[in-house]
Amino acid sequence: MTMDRTISNFIRALRNADVRVSTAETLDALGAVELVGYRDKAYLKRSLATVLPKTVDEKDTFDACFDQFFDFQDVRGEHSDSDLKGDESEEQDGEDGESGDGEGGGSSGEEPKGKKKKSKSKAKKNNLYEEEEEADLGPGEITDPKSALGQLLMSNDRVELSMAMAAAGEATNVREIKIFTQKGLYSRRIMDAMGLADLNREIGDLRTSAQVPARRLGQQLKARRDFLREQTRDYVEKQFLLNADVTGKRLREELLRKIKLSNVEHRNFRLIQEIVYKMAKKLSALHSRRKKIFKRGALNVPRTLRHNMSYDGAIFDLHWKSVKVDRPKVFAICDVSGSVANYARFMLMFLYSLDEVMPKVRSFAFSSDLAEVTELFNRNKIEDAIAKTLRDYGGGSTDYGQALLDFKKNCLDDVDNRTTIIILGDARNNHGEAHAEVLKEIYDRSKRVIWLNPEAKLAWNTGDSEMRKYGAYSHQVEECNSLMHLERVVGNLLKQIA
Amino acid sequence: MGDIEKIAASVASLQESFEAHNYICSDQIATAVFLAYQLRKPILIEGPPGVGKTELAKTAAEMFALPLIRLQCYEGLDESKAIYEWKYGKQLLYTQVLKEALDEVLQGAKGFTESVKRLHEFGDIFFSEEFLEPRPLLKALKEENGCVLLIDEIDKADNEFESLLLEILSDYQVSIPEIGTIKAIAEPPMVFLTSNNTREISDALKRRCLHLYIPFPDSDIEQRIVAARIPEVPPELRRQLVEFIHELRTLDLKKQPAISETIDWARTLVLLHAEALDPKLVTDTLNVILKFQEDIENVTTEVNSITARITK
Repeated sequence: MTMDRTISNFIRALRNADVRVSTAETLDALGAVELVGYRDKAYLKRSLATVLPKTVDEKDTFDACFDQFFDFQDVRGEHSDSDLKGDESEEQDGEDGESGDGEGGGSSGEEPKGKKKKSKSKAKKNNLYEEEEEADLGPGEITDPKSALGQLLMSNDRVELSMAMAAAGEATNVREIKIFTQKGLYSRRIMDAMGLADLNREIGDLRTSAQVPARRLGQQLKARRDFLREQTRDYVEKQFLLNADVTGKRLREELLRKIKLSNVEHRNFRLIQEIVYKMAKKLSALHSRRKKIFKRGALNVPRTLRHNMSYDGAIFDLHWKSVKVDRPKVFAICDVSGSVANYARFMLMFLYSLDEVMPKVRSFAFSSDLAEVTELFNRNKIEDAIAKTLRDYGGGSTDYGQALLDFKKNCLDDVDNRTTIIILGDARNNHGEAHAEVLKEIYDRSKRVIWLNPEAKLAWNTGDSEMRKYGAYSHQVEECNSLMHLERVVGNLLKQIA
Repeated sequence: MGDIEKIAASVASLQESFEAHNYICSDQIATAVFLAYQLRKPILIEGPPGVGKTELAKTAAEMFALPLIRLQCYEGLDESKAIYEWKYGKQLLYTQVLKEALDEVLQGAKGFTESVKRLHEFGDIFFSEEFLEPRPLLKALKEENGCVLLIDEIDKADNEFESLLLEILSDYQVSIPEIGTIKAIAEPPMVFLTSNNTREISDALKRRCLHLYIPFPDSDIEQRIVAARIPEVPPELRRQLVEFIHELRTLDLKKQPAISETIDWARTLVLLHAEALDPKLVTDTLNVILKFQEDIENVTTEVNSITARITK
């Protein structure tokens, strides 16, 4: 039962870290754990690595997560065991040195031992927590602890201890930890839940006890309590990393989807890019299926008859007319002047991330003069191409009229009734000539003209905005200023061209 | 059957057994096969080309002494090629032959309704298993002592084909509308799927499989592989050539040399009676490990320095 809890907690941590784990896979993991057991950590890791993460990226995340989670969470591996043993033997050494009563004699010579003793006693003076009697107790008989936690600590059973801690963590809802200032609080609560109060009382009693074995136990318990405290802090730290940090990332992603793209700070570009790819992938998956359905067309009667002649005219072998869908075209015309540059950046990123399902995209950039940048995108990586486009064509004052005239001159002939034209811009023409009649011409020839305006609807048609004129010659006019809008627009676009 | 269980009883025994069949595998690979056997789950194997994904399935079949049934995937693969097809020719032939017999059957039948009723009594003879041509997947289910089913390069098949596989992968059964559900007879087949990752495999499929990623092996394992495959290579040359390949893999190449290339190269060097690598020898035999002229040109300039580094 508790074993299952460990795994399900681990899976929760994995999910937090963006590894998708289904219920079926959780069951598989439990099956694997049953086979493999917790004893050999590397073996457990290898086993779970085949069951839970299903891509190479996920495997990396899994590795990191596993190391973090099982490092202390379930100190079943050798690592922590040996740690503890190391601690203990050190402790023993220290006591031998301090007591210096020949008990630990053996290999080490007299002189170094004397030196050791000296330095130790010096150190002792500075240490407020060390107490006199510590030195007097050699190893030997000790009494049994009474409190539950004491027994647990003395039993040296790492598995039990860590499970108790996990249970206490569960009881105190440590998974709800959200901000780092809560760490101390949760450590304290967990220790309390494990029975710290009883233990403290017992240690107090034992220390003042008259019997040496009891005092010895008190000493041991105290050392172990400190160890436990440290472990608890580690545990909480890990819970914090596993639970809070990622929710933070998710929150940030959620925010970034809705935020106005012009407000995105430069340091978040990477994250946005990730989101864009993720969204694009989702859309691709959705629409690549739709495309395939058209593969099989109507029955090709003559061909079928001809091929079935050898079967005495019985029709067995059917032949289909395959429908060849003409690849529609998408022209993206982007205003890359200062005010709209950021939107253009993300829209282009989006369009080009969709190359799997998106028909051929030709893109144009303008601030006053219009230029085709398709080649640039074909030759370079998306990010580089965008950067170059913005550098070369951005920055001027916008002139929509001129841009439309340029477009007409250069490629109106390529526009036909399968062409979808997306224009991204705020339609602020600096009071220049709008040349809406050019847009009308494009409108008449193309399948669709979609105008995406990053400004809020309220601001349209105010000041030098020519939205009303242009809007009249667009099939669709949309406000588009966040990733969410972009996703919706591109999704619709794919639906229409499929 | 007992043999299989003995071999698959632990990771260590699996690893040993693989080694006895000249397949050197890492702990990760052995663990995956172990789990696949114990949990009765298919394994999806991914990794760069030439790291022995297909070989793993083949060796497993050999090791367990089970027949290997292989389904090579390609675009346009569908159920009639993968699962089953009706034997149209046989059906047709039988209808022709039975035309005469039909009169006897219908003799004395009064009216159309009765004739049809009599015909119905014959049931769906023409759509029974007699007329079913099993394709690899169905064949694998019908194998009495179990088998190893290798679905190779699943990424080359269409998305829809993956959905076809779901039933067989999770329940080891196939539903044929005319007949019903055909289940694995005794032992479900051990299924290996390989993918070169040319496209993302759907989540539904991944969910039903264990996932094994085989990267290029580290130098130690690769040396053991070469030793197992081509024992004639002297140890020093073996170390040198493996390390040379490892150096190449760090370069920016169009196609990185895989294990199969390492083995080919080792074979070539043995034929040339080489004892150690030297720049001229390497330059002369580069075309064994590199498959693009561009790569060869790029590497030729580096040959001297790399050889010097590893032979010192």
